[in-house]
Parts: sequence; C-alpha cells; structure tokens
Amino acid sequence: MIWKDEYKIGVELVDSQHEELFKRLGDFIVTVRSDQDKEEKRKEIEKTLDFMGEYVVTHFNAEEALQKRYNYPDYENHHKIHEDFKAEIAEFKKEYKENDYDEDFVLEFSGRLLTWLINHVASTDQDIGEHINSVK
Amino acid sequence: MDVKYLNPIIAATDSVFETMLSLKPEKGKMSVQEELITDKEANVIIGMTGDIRGSIVYSFSEEMALKVVAAMSGMEMDTLDKFVTSAMGELGNIISGKATVGLSEQDLECDIVPPQIVTGKEINITSEADSVLMVNFNTELGDFDVSFAIK
Ligand SMILES: [Fe+2]
Repeated sequence: MIWKDEYKIGVELVDSQHEELFKRLGDFIVTVRSDQDKEEKRKEIEKTLDFMGEYVVTHFNAEEALQKRYNYPDYENHHKIHEDFKAEIAEFKKEYKENDYDEDFVLEFSGRLLTWLINHVASTDQDIGEHINSVK
Repeated sequence: MDVKYLNPIIAATDSVFETMLSLKPEKGKMSVQEELITDKEANVIIGMTGDIRGSIVYSFSEEMALKVVAAMSGMEMDTLDKFVTSAMGELGNIISGKATVGLSEQDLECDIVPPQIVTGKEINITSEADSVLMVNFNTELGDFDVSFAIK
C-alpha cells in the first residue's frame, strides 16, 4: 500500500481521489514487478497502466475544477504540471511499444512515477489544500 | 569553495525527506575533498549548469536505497534494480530542483539535468571537479552522503 494519511491535503474529495489513484498506481507497480510470462505480463501492464491513466484524467479534472472554483492563484502553473504528466504517460506507452516491451524500460518508468506522484501529492498539492481551507 | 552554496542543498534535502518520508535527517560531518570517492552502492548524480557548473551527488548504501523505496511503495525491495534506482534518481531530481530555487535566492541561476545513476563499489565519480563538499546525513533508514562537486 502506497497511500499514507500524511499525504492528505485537507480537502475530502481530493484526498479520497488521491487514495484511489495510489491504489491504482500500486496495482500497476505490483504488476510491473511480478514474475510472469512476458506476453501475459505485457497485457497486464497495459491494462493496469490504462486503469491508472484513466483515473489520472478524472482526478486532475476534478482537482483543477476545484482550484478554479476557489480561485487558486497557482492554477495555470499547476494545470501545466498536470498536462506534462499526462503527456509523459502517453509518451511512455508509445516508447514502451517501440522498445518491444522492454522490462528495464517499464521498471525505470514506474520507479520514477512512484516518487513523482508522492512528491506531487505530498508537497505540490498541499498548497491547494492550504488555499481552499483559508478561503472557505 | 564557499560553504554557503551547500546550504540550499541541505535545506532541500531536509524538506524533501520530511514531506515524502516523514524523516528528519540529522546532519553529520562535513568535509572538503579533491575528488569524490564513495563506498556507497547507489549514487544519483544530478548535473548542474548555469552560474554553478558541476554536480550534486546523492550516495546511498544499497540497504538504505532499498529501505527508502520500500517505505515509499509499501512493497519489499530486495535488489538494486531499475525500479529502485529510478525511484531514487527522481528523489535526487526533486531535491536538486528545490535546491536550485534556494540558490536563485543567492542570485545564482542554475539548471539541472536529468539524473544519472551509478551503482557499484568504491566508485570515483567526479574527477573533473575542483573541489567536492560532502555532508553526511543520518536517518532512521540509514545514513547517506550529499556531495556538491564544482568545476
Ligand atoms: Fe495536482
């Protein structure tokens, strides 16, 4: 389990979505690190990555809508961070295929993803919580 | 080389370990060396360009790197594989990114390049550096070194 209560930002909707996102990230990582037949594993990796990717979009949209509703001053910058992240996932999917589903390539990607997402939620997103709770 | 360059890196290290891992690194001894030789197995090198040219190197023992990634992922890690090194690489990247913000407050504009990972034993990392400032940190998950090598 990746989720920790310390990562909460103090906004219920966002916190519950972050928890779900980390659950899907965990499923993806467990799959990436599992021992199974290459072809089977590739399918599972794509499935769990898509499952997580879909939720990334759902969550980013909801979080950004909330930022707008509360006139979050750093909205533009945060929106760009989200867009870049989505683009990175898309880029990975393309390159993963081009690299013939290379094992090290997906390990590398998922390791970076783990640290990146924890930092985004535990650090970058905290300012949203502070802002919303100060104007509410 | 001025020790004050190291302060933003120390502050960034403290802050990232605190927010991401709920750890408070204790600063240990600081040393100045001519080159960076380490006996720690997992090294993250972040190149720096701009007003300061050189690199920041984060050196972890294999044991500590495994523990840090296990703490972040909630999964047991037993080898220094690409998943572990890449997760640690991103950690170094995040700390260094924060450090450049601190350096810019001292009017030093620097950019960083993506992490390079060096694993192994007894590694000599930056032979081109003029001097290397190294700080040791201790945490509940082990001790690690952060070095600032300036050309
Ligand atoms: Fe966000």
